[in-house]
Amino acid sequence: MILFAFFICAFFPTIQESAAELETYMANMPEALIAAFGGTGSNIASPEGYLNVEFFSMMLPMMFIIYAIGFGGGVIAGEEEAGTLDLLLANPIPRWRVLLEKFLAMVGGITILSFMSWLGLVAGIYVYNMNIGLGQLAAATFSSALLSFSFGVIALAVSCLTGRRGISMGIATALAVGTYLLYVLAQVAKSLEKYQKLSPFYYHLAPDPLANGLKLGDMAFFIGTIVVFLAISFIAFQRRDLAV
Amino acid sequence: MDIVIRTEGLTKYYGKTLGITDLNLEVKKGEVFGCLGPNGAGKTTTIRMLLDFIHPTRGKATIFGLDTHKDNVKIKRCVGYLPGELELYKNLKGGEFLRHFAYLRGGVDWKHVQELAERLDFDMSKPIRSLSSGNKHKVGLIQAFMHKPELLILDEPTVGLDPLMQQEFYQMVHEAKEQGQTLFISSHILPEVERICDRVGFIRRGKLIEVEDVSDLKKHAFRQIEIHFAGSVPKEEFENLSVVRDVMVEDSVLRFTVAGPLDAVIKAAAKFEVVNVISHEPNLEDIFLTYYGGDENAAS
Ligand SMILES: Nc1ncnc2c1ncn2[C@@H]1O[C@H](COP(=O)(O)OP(=O)(O)O)[C@@H](O)[C@H]1O
Ligand SMILES: [Mg+2]
Repeated sequence: MILFAFFICAFFPTIQESAAELETYMANMPEALIAAFGGTGSNIASPEGYLNVEFFSMMLPMMFIIYAIGFGGGVIAGEEEAGTLDLLLANPIPRWRVLLEKFLAMVGGITILSFMSWLGLVAGIYVYNMNIGLGQLAAATFSSALLSFSFGVIALAVSCLTGRRGISMGIATALAVGTYLLYVLAQVAKSLEKYQKLSPFYYHLAPDPLANGLKLGDMAFFIGTIVVFLAISFIAFQRRDLAV
Repeated sequence: MDIVIRTEGLTKYYGKTLGITDLNLEVKKGEVFGCLGPNGAGKTTTIRMLLDFIHPTRGKATIFGLDTHKDNVKIKRCVGYLPGELELYKNLKGGEFLRHFAYLRGGVDWKHVQELAERLDFDMSKPIRSLSSGNKHKVGLIQAFMHKPELLILDEPTVGLDPLMQQEFYQMVHEAKEQGQTLFISSHILPEVERICDRVGFIRRGKLIEVEDVSDLKKHAFRQIEIHFAGSVPKEEFENLSVVRDVMVEDSVLRFTVAGPLDAVIKAAAKFEVVNVISHEPNLEDIFLTYYGGDENAAS
């Protein structure tokens, strides 16, 4: 992850050199395509613009989302399908604590992942002389992490409801792809504009945290989503019959 | 007498499928209770309700006088459990798995774990992935016994154990009983239950048909017996004995079903030259049909 983030930065000088070319290229691209690549009209030759397009709008959330959904979907359902949950819960441990510990592990995992990614970026901007604040990087990384984590917790909730890993990951992935498309399409299609706020991506992409830092409202959306689906997870897991 | 497990009208439906219905059961402190029934009878369903993995459709159960749902954590402190379908964390070694479980449970004497491993001839250093099913089973048994629980709930504990280990397991059950532990064991093998249990509950198609002391069971235990004689024997000699049924003679071989003591048959047979006696354990279905014949309502 560190290396990955670092190498993203490594391409910046090349991009910058050919910036003029790219600009004209971009100008000719249909609006929807630009939106799909996360371009919000910002300048790709600037460090912010470059990192947004290359990293924060698509690549990083996608990697985080895959990780979070894989983790969240497997938390209870994975063990249930493997058939080890009975034995685990025969220990004098309440179900909610098993879930809480797995949730905390999930938080830990995404935190570590975010931190590594941030470290890579820090190294990258230092080596390649990109003029960006560390705080800005942290804000954009944090926003990506929260966005992704929301989908992870949705996967967790489905996994607690159904005990099925495939279904959990499938539903959460479909939601991620669907809401991403919703966001992108709403960028260009006026008729969809009013639904754009339903997409979690809106709260990550629209405010451009790399340029503007974190906004309380956007974070509240993610945290709200996480709290709601976490609550669903706990209630569902506490009540449900476990599969053999 | 202290009651360890009590169920009152315990019922579980999986949607429309019956798991177990109206189970009323009392397991006394210090006894070995066998839950006997063919596959699909509802043994695992009952056990998983006792451990609060699934919730009853109706009725309730208590263990140590505590509600199995509300107080499940408290109950589990004093219960050892062996699942019917045992699965372990494959990425761990046997010893690592046991350490992990000892840690989760807390207060486990590791020396006792080592003793159990030694008894069962179990090598803790091998990765679980590479273990045979018999060896995995040993891990399951060790974790069930390791904290010397007041109550052991074992779901078909000898399935997959080789005969030698089965004997060792019977010995472990015996010792557990001597130390005052209570055991609830499910099985579909009658001789096994006869051998290790004090009382047996017969379960079939979701219903508890009968609970019986094993000592009584043995009195009217019936088996199919074959006696091979040196020469041909007259059928009449055996037909009229009160304990036998289904007498068949084919030349020098006598076949019959006997319920109760064998004495009369042996004495009758002794008049002739006996070459061999073969006893077949009856299968469960036969037992149910013979003794609890009116199973039509159980089938509905
Ligand atoms: N999770 C489940 N969903 C639906 N039916 C089940 C489930 N578990 C068990 N059953 C059904 O309940 C009945 C009792 O099963 P079980 O308790 O496993 O029997 P046993 O352990 O005595 O073999 C069977 O008919 C079985 O098919
Ligand atoms: Mg079973």
